Amino acid sequence: MADVRFPELSKEEPDAEGVLATWFVSDGDQVAGGQLLGEVMVDKASGDVLAPAAGRVRLLVAEEQVARQGTVIATVE
Amino acid sequence: MSTTESATAPAEPALRRLTTARAMAEGIAQEMERDTGIVVLGEDVAKYGGIFGSTTGLLDKFGPQRVIDTPISETAFIGLGVGAAVEGMRPVVELMFADFFGVAMDQIYNHMAKIHFESGGNVRVPMVLMTAAGGGYSDAEQHSQCLWGTFAHLPGMKVVVPSNPADAKGLMISAIRDDNPVVYMFHKGVMGLPWMAKNARSIAPVPEEPYETPIGKAAVAREGGDATVVTVSLSVHHALDVAEQMSAEHGVELEVIDLRSLVPLDREAVLTSVAKTGRLLVVDEDYQSFGLSGEIAATVAETDPGMLRAPVRRVAVPDVPIPYARSLESAVLPTRERIKAAARELVGA
Repeated sequence: MADVRFPELSKEEPDAEGVLATWFVSDGDQVAGGQLLGEVMVDKASGDVLAPAAGRVRLLVAEEQVARQGTVIATVE
Repeated sequence: MSTTESATAPAEPALRRLTTARAMAEGIAQEMERDTGIVVLGEDVAKYGGIFGSTTGLLDKFGPQRVIDTPISETAFIGLGVGAAVEGMRPVVELMFADFFGVAMDQIYNHMAKIHFESGGNVRVPMVLMTAAGGGYSDAEQHSQCLWGTFAHLPGMKVVVPSNPADAKGLMISAIRDDNPVVYMFHKGVMGLPWMAKNARSIAPVPEEPYETPIGKAAVAREGGDATVVTVSLSVHHALDVAEQMSAEHGVELEVIDLRSLVPLDREAVLTSVAKTGRLLVVDEDYQSFGLSGEIAATVAETDPGMLRAPVRRVAVPDVPIPYARSLESAVLPTRERIKAAARELVGA
């Protein structure tokens, strides 16, 4: 199982909180390694969330929910 | 998906979803891989990736020779695009906001649109001029206009206005491959940008391979027999929302036609639908007078006004500049409330 973490968009502020803007996949979808899973946003900067491996994705954070950089927001089993 | 279904379903990845912005960028990238004569230029298209995400990732893939940040001089870089196109390249030029066309109108209208005709058809201008349109986010009178009626009014340019991710990619590829100048107008509200108002219809499945969406062909976004709503771009999303409400609340089924292109205009699609429903509502986020909504009404009136069982209705922007104040802006935009009120009057619901 591979963890998917909220990407570090703000280097200056490692503890910065952001928002899970969009999931492009649904919970339980089969995904390919490197596939675009979602988009996150810290302030007005946005970043991509990619699948670390192929497998079934489990989404742990809902869209619009606030999360800290580095926290696990999904897993790929 | 339930566990029973997943046990029998093939283990293929689900068709991936994209935002409209990402679908546009993917379309451009796939064409750039195919044809080295395609270059992208405009303000903030390279390092920034396009302020509405239409060119994100292209600089990393294709480098600064083919993805070029320009100075703030629309006349210079649109003229550069026209020259490159005349010489056989296929430039994709971004005008950051449609509202800014004024300073560069000579290049757009007197050169890009006319060279083919002036040369007796001997010189082609295979150029894409893409530009952001539309309001709804308090950006006021110089950053909120649609203006597609203006470009469509002036002969010589094709005009496409996608409403969703799949069409955005297919129309971009068609626009690039077209030998004529194509003005590609994307409403900021359909791009699926995380910092704009959330819009569920701006994120949808998009095929991975390159494909063309035909220019000049409308789509029936929703079938219905009681009235026809002809519209384009973000207003398609609002019209679909209203159609779902009207179906649930009044048992009225609206047919929603997404024109997708203004030039060429798919008049046949409009006539076919109105012949079926006998009622026409045109929804347009552009100014009401002398524009798309009148053209659609005239199309029906010139062909067979007898097919209408009720007078044509229009929901468009009254002829005033787009206000900054949120309350005033929403009063002039074709909101769901205005569309619904007009649709109810049209069908007597």
